Amino acid sequence: MSRFLEYLLIAGYIAVLLVVSHWIGQQAYSWMPVEATAEAQKVDDLFSFLVSIGAFIMLGLVGMMVYSVLFFQAPKNDYSEGHPSRGDVKLEILWTATPTLLVLWIAFQGFNIYQQLNILGLEQVVHLHIPLQSEPAIAAEVSLPKENNETIDVLVKQWDWSFRYPNNLTSPELHLPVNRPSRLNMHAQEVIHGFYIPEFRLKQDIIPGREIDIVLTPTRTGNYKLKDSQFSGTYFALMEADVYVEPVDKYNQWLAQAANEPMTAKNRAVAEYTQPPKTIFKTSWYTVTPAPSKFPVANQRKVSNDT
Amino acid sequence: MNRGIIHIDESPIRLERWRRYLPNWLKRFLPSRGGRAEDHHGKAMFGFTVFLLSESIVFLSLIFTYLALRLTHSRSWLPPGISGLELSSFVIINTVVLLSSSFVIQPAENALKRRQLNRFRWLWLITISMGTYFLIGQGIEWSNLDFGLSTGLIGSTFYVLTGFHGLHVLTGVLLQIIMLVRSFIPGNYHKGHFGVSATTLFWHFVDIIWVFLFSLLYLWQA
Amino acid sequence: MTHDSQESITGNRESENSQKQSIENWRPYFSFSTDHKVIGVQYMVTTFIFFLIGGLLAMLIRAELLTPQLNVVDRPLYNSLFTMHGTIMIFLWIIPFNAGISNYLVPLMIGARDMAFPLLNAISFWIIPPAGIFLLSSFLLPNGPSQAGWWSYPPVSLQFPTGQPINGELFWIVSLILMGISSIMGAVNFVTTIFWMRAPGMTFFRMPVFVWSVLSAQLLQLINLPSLTGALILLLFDLALGTHFFKPLENGDPIIYQHLFWFYSHPAVYIMALPAFGIFAEVIPGFSRNPLFGYRSLALASLGIALVSIFVWVHHMFTSATPGWMRITFMVTSMLVAIPTGVKAFGWTATIWKSKLHLETPMLFAMGGAAMFLFGGVTGVMLAATPFDIHVNNTYFVVGHFHYIVFNTITMAIFAAIYFWFPKITGRMYAEGWGKVHFWLTFIGANLTFFPMHPLGLQGMLRRISSYDPQYQGWNVIASLGGFLLGVSILPFIANMVGSWLYGQTATNNPWLATGLEWTTTSPPPRENFAEIPVVRRPPYDYGDPKYSVIEPPDYHEPENS
Repeated sequence: MSRFLEYLLIAGYIAVLLVVSHWIGQQAYSWMPVEATAEAQKVDDLFSFLVSIGAFIMLGLVGMMVYSVLFFQAPKNDYSEGHPSRGDVKLEILWTATPTLLVLWIAFQGFNIYQQLNILGLEQVVHLHIPLQSEPAIAAEVSLPKENNETIDVLVKQWDWSFRYPNNLTSPELHLPVNRPSRLNMHAQEVIHGFYIPEFRLKQDIIPGREIDIVLTPTRTGNYKLKDSQFSGTYFALMEADVYVEPVDKYNQWLAQAANEPMTAKNRAVAEYTQPPKTIFKTSWYTVTPAPSKFPVANQRKVSNDT
Repeated sequence: MNRGIIHIDESPIRLERWRRYLPNWLKRFLPSRGGRAEDHHGKAMFGFTVFLLSESIVFLSLIFTYLALRLTHSRSWLPPGISGLELSSFVIINTVVLLSSSFVIQPAENALKRRQLNRFRWLWLITISMGTYFLIGQGIEWSNLDFGLSTGLIGSTFYVLTGFHGLHVLTGVLLQIIMLVRSFIPGNYHKGHFGVSATTLFWHFVDIIWVFLFSLLYLWQA
Repeated sequence: MTHDSQESITGNRESENSQKQSIENWRPYFSFSTDHKVIGVQYMVTTFIFFLIGGLLAMLIRAELLTPQLNVVDRPLYNSLFTMHGTIMIFLWIIPFNAGISNYLVPLMIGARDMAFPLLNAISFWIIPPAGIFLLSSFLLPNGPSQAGWWSYPPVSLQFPTGQPINGELFWIVSLILMGISSIMGAVNFVTTIFWMRAPGMTFFRMPVFVWSVLSAQLLQLINLPSLTGALILLLFDLALGTHFFKPLENGDPIIYQHLFWFYSHPAVYIMALPAFGIFAEVIPGFSRNPLFGYRSLALASLGIALVSIFVWVHHMFTSATPGWMRITFMVTSMLVAIPTGVKAFGWTATIWKSKLHLETPMLFAMGGAAMFLFGGVTGVMLAATPFDIHVNNTYFVVGHFHYIVFNTITMAIFAAIYFWFPKITGRMYAEGWGKVHFWLTFIGANLTFFPMHPLGLQGMLRRISSYDPQYQGWNVIASLGGFLLGVSILPFIANMVGSWLYGQTATNNPWLATGLEWTTTSPPPRENFAEIPVVRRPPYDYGDPKYSVIEPPDYHEPENS
């Protein structure tokens, strides 16, 4: 009878855990930034799923540990054996097989979502023309609708971002039309940088000497920040650019307007280099000199093409 | 070993039973029945072999780099005006000398195992000369090449690969010289001849690496 | 075991004398000794000093991150701080400390008199202090130490605007190569010792799980460390000798460096973690009076973790220029490594279940570490999912994850090990009350410092930045306060260790009534470890054996005066 009760309690414990984990998984959405692309929604779904599973495992095992600490403490001088069991083959098989199935399931979900990211246009196309890497490039070209894409050149160097629009306007701001796919053709000048907009859930390293294309479709108007996600030297922390997602007409309006008032960026790296802020500890260690932001000469020396 | 040991252990597989099927040379590397700590030679050769296997992975990483760079730059591999590596008879002779020295050093070690010291010393000396010949040949080849360390990817990869290998050849020759000198010390082999065995194994290792490097650098032309 | 008797468990006069000898005789610890016990202590104390230095750097980092603006250190200094903090903690704290404690324990646990190659062992140790001092000396260079992160990715790591050949990056590379040589020598030694020096009857499946984890970790070192050596050699050539391996503007490929680097550095985290798991597997049975549940599975899981971890490295490169098929493949393999890890966690939990718990300091650290490991492991599985990783890669989420592993799990395990084997190593008992204080301060501090990093990362705060958007300040303040608490928490520990080693109560051979061959000899052990090499007839974790399953106070207060 007490055996039955034991199983009942275990089942009850698991049921409670399932409910709590599910609830925690739902909370996970609020821990993420706002969703500004369709892909973001999918990534958040994946995250919520992972949080639920993680919460279940954690609460389950930590719960058992806490229970043990509360109810299984031995009297002070009792060093006798707890129980003689050295293992249980069935249980061990169960707890090897179950996590295996679980992680394979998680991997499958991850794979699904990654594929969807591709289809929706969130993929990078690396124009390196390497025999080994030619398949993804070709596949990508096939699936991308070219006509709708505005191609914006993203030029990143130490330490700022510049964007060159189809009408040859250069700007330190990234403007994107909402609900339209935009193609970003990215170049880095000297070192590796990373293109990262948290609200888009998108990140891609940019390697000098390679052109890396991504296609993205923002779905929410607003102002966001583009950050450099791959450590790029002294003023790495200052590499932020403003991102404006706006309705198409506003976007076109800005394009036309800004072409007539060419902007030079307030380059934060140059500003800090010329007037360093006051800090408690100062070194006189040299750094690569930040170049001012005129229209940067994109790295003309491309990798020798082997086509 | 002691048959009185009671096997209350939880081994899922009786590894001891499978040991029977191994070839002799592999059996020597693996101890049985809880280890034979008094077999210093076996223990030391095991350690040294493990070390060489690990060292070969350094070469593997350098070769990986070479392959990755070469495969992705096959058309532009040779900078303009550079003719690259020539599979000349000079190079071939050098290679033959190095590789056949393996077939000299092994009989040398075998002679020492039978304590035929004079035979050992002569064969050992010949090996040293062959190794030295290779090194000198490599140096001459280097000086005659039309590209340097900073000349494109071919310069970087060729000199680092052959240089790193050459460093190991040099180490091998130095070890051989030390072993040769020590062979004249009376009573040197009372506690075994681990030094000579290790140097011999090292030499084979150096030769095997050269087979790979030679194929990848010289035989594989664009 | 043949030479087991009541005496060796509860203590005898012999142990008193040998204790007096070794405590008063501190000279061996500053000399070139080939005794694995001396070398082990040398490693552990030296690396602890580097831990304090690395911790100091962390305090400076957290001080800077208390406010959004740059106001404590300038940018180059900040970049060198996180670079050196990471490098020191990995290569001068955890990895060599593990070598030290493995050095001390493995021969004792397998019933050997010393390691397979004692001279090589000593050389391995003596490379570490000069290499470490050399690395630290780069702070005195005119342009400072390496400032490219502990990964030293080219092309950033190759940028030296002044063109000086003697620069911080050069020091960093040379220092790491030296430490790598030390590690390889150690790995050869450990693997040979475990294969060749086990006592009669000590078959593989009678070895404690700690020895299994050391074997697995050292095999990993042998297979994967050479890849880092290759990467460093090539980086050195690019930096100083004019080659172009990794220079993208000269047809080189920086991604190759990333592959070579991570091929080692992912298994490196398991090289750090496996001994920690082994420590849990020794401490937890001792304080729950249960055999380790599923001993065979946990032993094999150690090898399983090592094997799978060789094939997961690209998950550090999910946002790099890696093709889609590579990302998916390594997502799957990275998920798979969770399985043997999970098996271990289940084993520890099952050992505690229905046990007779004694919550002394080693057990507190072990259980705290295991619990926090669950959190770290869960976030690890999350990071293995490529679409999620693309969002949080290079953010504080990753920083939080790996600190939950290296500090909240591994360093907690290290403290558990120090407290647990302190009586064996020194022949004295530490002060239990202060041990508990240390635990609570550390546990609270660790969670306060590293938990906030997870929401910060989710919200997009990048790692390695010296100034940040004001929206991130709240969590950063909590993390910094937690960090300062951690800094304070180390003080009772140091006081306890020093005070107890000098003035603590003498300990008996087996104050914890634990199984394991190391507890059958005196505390501290004699130079030859055992009066006679034991013959092993029983399985490990034999807590049902009447010698261990007793109801009486453990005798560590007074040695017998019969």
